[in-house]
Amino acid sequence: MATKRNQRNIALLSLLLSVTLFTVSCKDEEVAAEEENELITTVKLNFTSGSTTQSFKYSDPDGDGGKAPTVDAISLKPNTTYTLTVEVLDESKMPVGNITDEVKKESDEHLFVYTPTPSSLLTYTYGDKDAKNFGIGITGSAKTNAAGTGKLKVQLRHQPPINGKASKDGTPTPGSDDINIDFNVTVQ
Amino acid sequence: MKKTLFLYINLLAFGVGGLFAQTPKDCDCFIQGIVQDDVTKQPIIGAVVLIKELNKGVSTNSKGFYRISNICQGKYTIIGRIVGYEEKSYIISLEHGAEHNIKLSETEHHLANIDIKAQKIENLTQTKNTLENTTLDQTRGQSLGEALKQISGVTTLQTGSSIAKPVIHGMHSNRVLILNNGVRQEGQQWGSEHAPEIDPFVAKKITVLKGAAGVRYGSDAIAGVIMLEPDTLPDSIVLKGEINSVYFTNGRQTVNSGIMEGGFDNSNVKKSSKIPYSIGFRIQGTYKRGGDISTPNYRLANTGIQEINYSLSLGYKRKNWISEVFYSQFTTKIAVFSGSHIGNVSDLIDAIKRGIPLSIYTPEKFTYAIDRPYQDVQHNLLKVKNTLKNRFGILSLTLGSQYDFRKEVDILRGDRNLTQLFKLTTYSSELIFEHKPILKLLTGSIGVNSLYQENLTTGTLSEPRSSTVLIPNFKNLTSGVFLIERIVRNNWEIESGFRYDIRHLNVYRIPRGGQNVENNTQNNRNFTGTLGANYRPNSRWNFMANASSAWRAATVNELYSDGVHHGAASFERGDENLVPEVALNLSFTANYVSKNFQAELHLYNNYINNFIFLSPTGRPALTIRGAFPEFIYTQTDSHFHGFDLNGIVQIVKNLSLNSKISYLKAQDLSNNQPLIQIPANRWENTLRYDWKKTSVSLTNLYVAKQNRIPTKIIFSDIPYSEIIFAEYGGDFAPPPAAYSLWSASASQQFSINAKQSLNISLTISNLFNTTYRDYLNRFRYFSDEIGRNVVFRAKYSF
Repeated sequence: MATKRNQRNIALLSLLLSVTLFTVSCKDEEVAAEEENELITTVKLNFTSGSTTQSFKYSDPDGDGGKAPTVDAISLKPNTTYTLTVEVLDESKMPVGNITDEVKKESDEHLFVYTPTPSSLLTYTYGDKDAKNFGIGITGSAKTNAAGTGKLKVQLRHQPPINGKASKDGTPTPGSDDINIDFNVTVQ
Repeated sequence: MKKTLFLYINLLAFGVGGLFAQTPKDCDCFIQGIVQDDVTKQPIIGAVVLIKELNKGVSTNSKGFYRISNICQGKYTIIGRIVGYEEKSYIISLEHGAEHNIKLSETEHHLANIDIKAQKIENLTQTKNTLENTTLDQTRGQSLGEALKQISGVTTLQTGSSIAKPVIHGMHSNRVLILNNGVRQEGQQWGSEHAPEIDPFVAKKITVLKGAAGVRYGSDAIAGVIMLEPDTLPDSIVLKGEINSVYFTNGRQTVNSGIMEGGFDNSNVKKSSKIPYSIGFRIQGTYKRGGDISTPNYRLANTGIQEINYSLSLGYKRKNWISEVFYSQFTTKIAVFSGSHIGNVSDLIDAIKRGIPLSIYTPEKFTYAIDRPYQDVQHNLLKVKNTLKNRFGILSLTLGSQYDFRKEVDILRGDRNLTQLFKLTTYSSELIFEHKPILKLLTGSIGVNSLYQENLTTGTLSEPRSSTVLIPNFKNLTSGVFLIERIVRNNWEIESGFRYDIRHLNVYRIPRGGQNVENNTQNNRNFTGTLGANYRPNSRWNFMANASSAWRAATVNELYSDGVHHGAASFERGDENLVPEVALNLSFTANYVSKNFQAELHLYNNYINNFIFLSPTGRPALTIRGAFPEFIYTQTDSHFHGFDLNGIVQIVKNLSLNSKISYLKAQDLSNNQPLIQIPANRWENTLRYDWKKTSVSLTNLYVAKQNRIPTKIIFSDIPYSEIIFAEYGGDFAPPPAAYSLWSASASQQFSINAKQSLNISLTISNLFNTTYRDYLNRFRYFSDEIGRNVVFRAKYSF
């Protein structure tokens, strides 16, 4: 009889023990802030002709979803050559994150692509080159032709190396879009 | 304490009578006994009793009696099996000098009298299919999802070839419950590209219960339950193990897994006052490494995998009390095909148009290296189970603690490399009391489950820091109580049960563009029930009919997703007004067994009200990265119905044909069109030749084209002018064509001695290097499926 009670006690004890094992202290865990991901909220195009610079912005400060982005309409003069520079920003942060610098640093795996529709609207020429002599597109020139209206698609192709092999080949084909936006353009 | 409910084989070693007979070749041993139901003590007719080593078996007669004669001396594994009962195996020694042998009269027979007391498996009115022994061995090295494809009605939802999620009767993720060693697996299973974080080598037996099983296992088991069970821990003095080695030529993948178990008991201690006890332990570990895999025409860059898993278990057993501790860790790093990093809808359309991935994504050179993007996943499980037996029944308490850490590393600029991070901590408990028969009629169990979990994706639980996460921080508490009772008679039984659950979900999130933390709560409660019957008119036929309900409250991703799902190139929006889905599953199974023919037909009808699914809207969602096709979590009344047919015919001696057919139709009743993402029908045939310890087989799998796809966008409030993907009901491409795959396999067993054996096998899957794509692979838009794969397997047991 004594052994039986003993046994029961041991059993109870083991039940208790296993409960204690699981009452792990629940201290607040934290996922560190620097692990947050990158966000592009703003793309700014600066058209400079002579001493005047016009800036046009595509801005979506709350990121994907939420409020709709605001897009400026581009208005240019016909038959003019502009210096075109691009700025890519993260305006959801304070201070504002400058992504252009990062693109510049990793120019061997980035390519800006400017596509006007119709193609006669303007002609884009790259003004910068990476180490392999492929264009980057942070600086370039845009030459407008006759008056007209259309669209300008701005893409930032991210073309990272695949298992150590460079994928950037000067064409937009490899990689994926980090930016893909359309501006309305009026040349008048 | 002899009146135990636990299944065991009562070995009465009457035998080995001719101990002193000294006949040169003692092949006159026999074993005999009665197979009876452990609870009702009724004899079981038609149970198969098999000597594993000799592949020699008999069926029990109308009195449950069996006898196998002309057995040589040696050590044998006796297996008792019948549909509806747990298979039981027992090792006996028929040899000279065995200690417990009793001389039996004058007969010169070696005799063992084994009465098999078979215990009913829980839930006997629903179909269960099991992978074990050779069928499980044939899947060694594969992921859990791939391995389960052997079972008819089970398919996979894939992301490339390395990530496979099991799909039961067209449903997956949160609707398929996985029990890992008795504990509900809690990982990030909501994601379609999140494979179960389990090493299949942990299990000696994998069982799939098809159909709603909400009452016993948790209300959300709408599609079914997958159970992974190790062997029971040793309870006698023994030390044994097993080493498995697998090599796949495609991807040059190696898998090595070892298991070692042992036991100790105090039966040798010569103190009669001592209470007998035993201790058992097991150590298990697996290492897997594979590189880039190849389709028939090209290699896919960055498709390697690495996995390190281990588990430890320890058991203590005495008279009426068993304690068991189990710990496992699963760690994997899975490369995600570089060509699947799709930026937006125009990237996707370009990839579909190209047909094959760009040459940069299909390198000539093979590598084991894992580059971005990849997934880094770790899952830890600690389980403590205590079981107490007394004269009223069995009381068991199972406590589980799980930690699931998932990192999805994407291609990003600079040193930033984390896109999504999920940390899920779960504590679960289950208290079950299985009572002894009441009035010798009613058996059953009553139980309480509780589960608490916390998910962290940003900041701290109640103070998330970012609004750009895929799913928000949350805590979740579910609790349920259930009762299942059954009446068991000689050739029929009835089972009935109900369950009541409450669920409380607390979500902390920063809405898009917002600054402040919002706290949303959801409370749900509901009943679940089951009613089923099993009828065995004779030893050949067995019929099962079951009606079960289950319900599932919307999960956080269904409620609060709002953003681009990377790799999927989709913009997913949740809906916080989703109500729980409620399923009613009706199933009927007929099982026929004879000497040369075995067949199982499983018919099912699953009505799900407010079925929650991700439906395309056909319109693009505009982001700075371009347009993404929009998908919204919505709900509809749906009907899943179909059948699984499985038959084995012994054509001539040694030659058999196994045929499996899975047929499924899933309809969106509210919108009167087929549901999206439903696996296509399939038919598999295996011709198998067995000769002694050699077997050779040839398999053909035919998968039809999925012709039942939605034809229209179901959101009526979306103006037609905004829809750009209207052609395939919102999908980007039509379902792939039907395909037919051949595979061949040969295996050989070697017995080194009584204890040691070696099994080797060679399998060639996709024998003819067929190019194909599957409707349920998310990479079907841009790449082919895996090509020919030659697999070498070796298993050494000692």
